[in-house]
Amino acid sequence: MKKIVLFAVVALMVAGVATMGREAKPTQAQDQVEITFSHIFGDENRSGLIQKYADAYMAEHPNVKINLQIATSYPENINGALLASEQGNAPHIVQIYEIGSRLALDSGIFIPVGSVATEDQLATLDDIIQPVLNYYTFDDQVWSVPFNSSNPILYYNMEILEQAGVEAVPQTYSEVLAACDKIMAAGIESLEGCIGWSVNGWFVEQWVSEQGALLANNGNGRADRATEVELDSEAMLNIFTWWKELADKDYYVYTGALEDWDGSDALFTGQQVAFHITSTADLRNITDAATEAGFNAGTAYIPIPDGVERNGTVIGGASLWLTGDHPQAELEAAVDFMLFLGKTENGVDWHKGTGYFPIRYSAIEALEAEGWFDANPTFMTAFDQLTSTIPNEASAGAVIGIFQELRTIVEQAAQSVIDGGADPAEALAAADDRADESMAEYNSLVSE
Amino acid sequence: MERFSFEWFGNLLAVGFGVGAVIYAVWVIVGRIGYVASQRQLVGTEVRRNIHRLILAGTLLLAATFILSEIRGLVVLADLVIGAIGNIPSFIGDIIKYFEDVPGEQLQKSLLVGGLFGAVTTGLVGLIAKKRLLLPEFSMRAWGYAVVGVAVGFLFSIGLWYSLLLGLAVLLATSLILDSTVRDYLTPTNFKPLFSTPSLRILGIGLPVGAMVGAISSQILMYPTQHCTYIDGAPRLEYRFGLFVTVGSALLILLPVWALLFKDRTTIKEVSTSGYFRNPVLPYLFLSPTLFILIVFLYYPGSQVLTLSTKLKRFPLPQERFSCMANYVKLTEDPIYQNSFSTTIFFTVMIVILSMFLALMIAILASQKIKGASVYRSLLIWPYAVSPIVTAIVFLTMFREGGAGLINYALDNLFGLEPRWLTDTDLAPWVVILAAVWNSLGFNILFYIAGLQNVPEDLLEAAAIDGANRIQKFIRITFPLLSPFTFFLLITNITYSFYGIYGAVEALTQGGPTLGAGGKDGGATNVLIYKLYQDAFVNGRSGEAAAQALILFLMVAGLTVLQFRFVERRVTYSG
Repeated sequence: MKKIVLFAVVALMVAGVATMGREAKPTQAQDQVEITFSHIFGDENRSGLIQKYADAYMAEHPNVKINLQIATSYPENINGALLASEQGNAPHIVQIYEIGSRLALDSGIFIPVGSVATEDQLATLDDIIQPVLNYYTFDDQVWSVPFNSSNPILYYNMEILEQAGVEAVPQTYSEVLAACDKIMAAGIESLEGCIGWSVNGWFVEQWVSEQGALLANNGNGRADRATEVELDSEAMLNIFTWWKELADKDYYVYTGALEDWDGSDALFTGQQVAFHITSTADLRNITDAATEAGFNAGTAYIPIPDGVERNGTVIGGASLWLTGDHPQAELEAAVDFMLFLGKTENGVDWHKGTGYFPIRYSAIEALEAEGWFDANPTFMTAFDQLTSTIPNEASAGAVIGIFQELRTIVEQAAQSVIDGGADPAEALAAADDRADESMAEYNSLVSE
Repeated sequence: MERFSFEWFGNLLAVGFGVGAVIYAVWVIVGRIGYVASQRQLVGTEVRRNIHRLILAGTLLLAATFILSEIRGLVVLADLVIGAIGNIPSFIGDIIKYFEDVPGEQLQKSLLVGGLFGAVTTGLVGLIAKKRLLLPEFSMRAWGYAVVGVAVGFLFSIGLWYSLLLGLAVLLATSLILDSTVRDYLTPTNFKPLFSTPSLRILGIGLPVGAMVGAISSQILMYPTQHCTYIDGAPRLEYRFGLFVTVGSALLILLPVWALLFKDRTTIKEVSTSGYFRNPVLPYLFLSPTLFILIVFLYYPGSQVLTLSTKLKRFPLPQERFSCMANYVKLTEDPIYQNSFSTTIFFTVMIVILSMFLALMIAILASQKIKGASVYRSLLIWPYAVSPIVTAIVFLTMFREGGAGLINYALDNLFGLEPRWLTDTDLAPWVVILAAVWNSLGFNILFYIAGLQNVPEDLLEAAAIDGANRIQKFIRITFPLLSPFTFFLLITNITYSFYGIYGAVEALTQGGPTLGAGGKDGGATNVLIYKLYQDAFVNGRSGEAAAQALILFLMVAGLTVLQFRFVERRVTYSG
């Protein structure tokens, strides 16, 4: 007994000493530069890759210390950065999703990467795929460096299509309807419907871009600050009318929850739908799950309305932003690290490890040279879709401050049409009013 | 100005604790062992006898390590507190400057409103408290009819104020005609005390004190709202909200003043002094840690919410603009908010009734004397250990549509049915209610089982001898004796339904399915707390969300006060 008690006391003392040791602060060399990079990859795989790149950079530049900070989601990351900035300790590099750009610009805590980068560094940006770089260029200034990009593609179940006698993969709305007529008539047991995608504003944005239409006035908010969204446009009506027709015929299926990415993936891999639309970032997961379930998943461009020339998708994903309130040496190190992250070999590695596509022409060439796409043909669709995008205001994507709210409004409008049976034009008009009112309030606040 | 650093102090404290604890432990062990050795007794028993001292020493050591590992957090906290204290002079300076600059007209109006309210209410409260003015007692029946009257008013949508007036009219009419309480009350003898010298004395003190306190106190909330509703030409609705704010502000000091002025002095003398602190400072010293935590984490953020609700601000942007009562006015006119309001009330009623009824039934079954009852009881309480969001995810896997959910998979295979659980405006609310009820069931069962064990056997036996059957025994004896538990559960369940169902809505329906084209009439499960979260953190409408938070808080606080006032009277606490 006595020994046990003594042992416990000693153990406690050791614990106490151990915690004291933990508080010891590292001594800093004088020319040491310390920068913080805040990203959103909480999973082991992707955060491990980032750590690997950071370690490699620190090995090359012994005087730079990179602290990695992980936020739980894109909105959390930008919110956290802005709040930290109020305390005067914003992370140097912040990973911000594409639709957060207007918010980032309006917050006033970021500075354009172009204002710090040297001529040589800027020249390396020419290697980045044009539509991707377009998204993050405002007033001819490169504000942020694109990092991880993806776009939506059409996935299809090869076996079901063959069984139903659908020969060509549908490319337009009417072709999808026709293919669905055949598939649903074929009497395939497992099918709940024909096509599924999660109710998500992101897809709607892509279809607007594909039609060369704008989501907001003033050139999608790029020529000048957007003052009105254009949810009641012809392009939006095309999308919603088709969506409603699919839903009314019970061809369209979703899980009932909004933005339920995993649930809608499960519908496709469970062979409950023949077609599926989702991000290329899920390519690896979906093809693997399909093989496991015993069918082959093919990929194609997302279907577009009839009689429209394919204008291309908006790029999705995120870019790296630079906060301004730091010493020059730290800013320079931060920009250098940003460019290091995206350099060719890291881009190739990042693509293979995650499924996000490399955003540099040189990285694509490298992948082609080593025969990656021949071994993984489904990965090619996304690149083709992205690189064939026509660069213009529509495909550059809208820059709106209330984008997060806008997505919710669009999703609710869609839900009221496909579930509530509302008239598409009426639903879009109501959604347009709601979004415009919110945008007016936002603009009145930031443009003072 | 360089801030005073607490780091060295924290280290000193922690090291001091640690060293002290070690010395104490060694002293205990060595001292005792020495003592025990000299007494030639068994070492083990002595050590065991002193085990509490060793535990104390260990606890101190643990506390020391905790303090040490949390030192950064403590330093930040201390810095914040010191910073806040350092800011007090400039804060007071701002207030003084504000009141010097505010236009006289606005100030006078608010002073007048606060003063008048203070004088009238203080006079009335004084007369009532000192039994100079007797109030009629309305029966429960009359109250019941009054509630029905208000409900009818709402049903025919004649507006809030007319509905309340209708309710009042019904209350008076029922009392006059059916109960005759008001008729009996309206006799001259009842009003005699009012016209006497003590009444005059009460009014003589109450009116001026009330006016003064009311006027001063009303200015507390006038500072954050900047007297904006008293500007000439302020919108009518904003002006009305301003009156509410002024009156609410006046009550902040009026309430304690009433307690001081009109408390019954005679009772205090009769109460023995044994339960009281002799030293007047000591009780506050003991309270101070709690008060400190409350101020830092509750009252201060609460006051910030009030300030925020008067602003136009988009989270997370730093820009903001003062917007007076615009956020509140907007909410009252917003059909989506109105929908959230009625949805919340519907959800609350359903969750409270279902959850408590089911819990009571299950608790009765589980309290029977059967083999392994304790096992059943433990199992029944488990749902409470599951957090609401986890519950909702479990429900989502069951209720998902499009063939991805378990329930529809089973229903489809058995009967060929596939109800749209999450996208049908009539079904979705019930799925959320079900998830919430299931989640809170364990908690309710736990309390009812405890309650049922407290029902004395002899009462039930006596009733059985008198020939009461099971149902009569339950209605006449068990249920009334459970009333303290029912009352407690009523309050916690209502609070849970208002605040706790956020997780269920988030995981299951995200406030949907939508009502009206484009969701312009809101969502079928878009309850207040969910809309609050959405507006605050997704849509970033901070100001509006702050206004919603305040309204929600006032609703729950109001309901709780009402329950204590009216429901608790019918509760019997057994000795």
